[in-house]
Amino acid sequence: MNITEEIKISDNGFVFNSKTGDSFNVNPTGLELIKLIAQNIDFDSIKEIFIQKYDIDDLAFEKDYHEFCAMVNYHQVATTEDPLDFK
Amino acid sequence: MSTLQLTIAVTGLNNTDNPGPGVPVIRSLKDSKAFDIKFIGLVYETLEPGIYMEGLCDKIYQIPYPSAGTNELIDRIEEIHRRDPIDILIPNFDAELFSFMKNEVRLLESGIRTFLPTIKQFQERDKDKLPEFGEKYDLKVPASLNLGSQNQISQIKDKFEYPVMVKGKFYDAYMAYNSEQVKQSFNKISSKWGLPVIIQEFVKGTEVNVIALGDGEGNTIAAVPMRKQYITDKGKAWGGITLADKKMLEITSNLIRKTKWKGAMELELIKTVKGEYYLLEINPRIPAWVYLAVGAGQNIPEALVKLALGQEVAPLEAYSSGKMFVRYSYDIIVDLEKFESIAMNGEL
Repeated sequence: MNITEEIKISDNGFVFNSKTGDSFNVNPTGLELIKLIAQNIDFDSIKEIFIQKYDIDDLAFEKDYHEFCAMVNYHQVATTEDPLDFK
Repeated sequence: MSTLQLTIAVTGLNNTDNPGPGVPVIRSLKDSKAFDIKFIGLVYETLEPGIYMEGLCDKIYQIPYPSAGTNELIDRIEEIHRRDPIDILIPNFDAELFSFMKNEVRLLESGIRTFLPTIKQFQERDKDKLPEFGEKYDLKVPASLNLGSQNQISQIKDKFEYPVMVKGKFYDAYMAYNSEQVKQSFNKISSKWGLPVIIQEFVKGTEVNVIALGDGEGNTIAAVPMRKQYITDKGKAWGGITLADKKMLEITSNLIRKTKWKGAMELELIKTVKGEYYLLEINPRIPAWVYLAVGAGQNIPEALVKLALGQEVAPLEAYSSGKMFVRYSYDIIVDLEKFESIAMNGEL
């Protein structure tokens, strides 16, 4: 999954899609996640980072991650070549 | 660089909830470093707010509505020109454009320059000819039906699914969910703007716009896309944000190349969830949100003035996306003498 080039992300968690004009607020965890995705860090590494940093297990992280990715995809913040592949 | 001294006359000072582009055009030109401009405001009504805005116009003249007769309007412009010589005239109302286009040569002969589309360009993008325009220039447009009388309202259900948009030839658009609502809108629009009343397929999506300037040779001199963020009940943008949308710029430059559009324009588009763009209409003039384009890096009125003067203008390609405008209302306290002067003498 790639964050599209038109996306501007501020350190406060304000996400602006300059192609559509939509803007969103993400919470600190969402901001951390979206920044990691924007840096093209692979899914397994992101999972490792989150499991070490937060009190969360594999399954819960994967579920939340996929939900988050589906949401950013829906809002055209990110693109995936395969809509079923959120990694 | 030395600044060139000019006198520019501008119409459309009605900075109301249905704002004209006059005030933002003047603000844009005041930002220009290339010109030192004396502004003449040309107004139709005595309560156009631009008349009373401090520091906006150097002189105000009232002019007759084009409906009073084109000659009367142009005669008045020439009379003003004899007293206060005008270098460039920037008309900003759709309804007056035809008169100024038709008299472009007469105005030029008396020394007044304009930079307007040709009558052919103006007419072929008329709202009631949009399907033919879309076909000719390879643009998606919503299906439409021109109503010449109320009897045709029954044809709508054979051609469209409700809701539909009911539009006037010049202004006004209402959404109608059934034939009764079409009838109401038809009466409202036809009594104000005449016939035909246009029924347009409702295309679901986000309303986006492009302000652009063509040099008349097929080159796009400026183009800035915007999304309306707040729309008033009159359908006017009260807030907007510039977009980085390459497709919208491509649509605009293709259209300007094919039509050899001369002057400013505003493309009104609907972007569907599938990412398709439908052209709703083309306004053949500078729109009221022009100052957003200036804030984003393209001073379109300044470029238009340069083109009107016959100067070479390099295309403005860069602009900032994510620049916003938010309108506000403001009370101006006006002394009775000012109102009296414009109401009694037709000038201020």
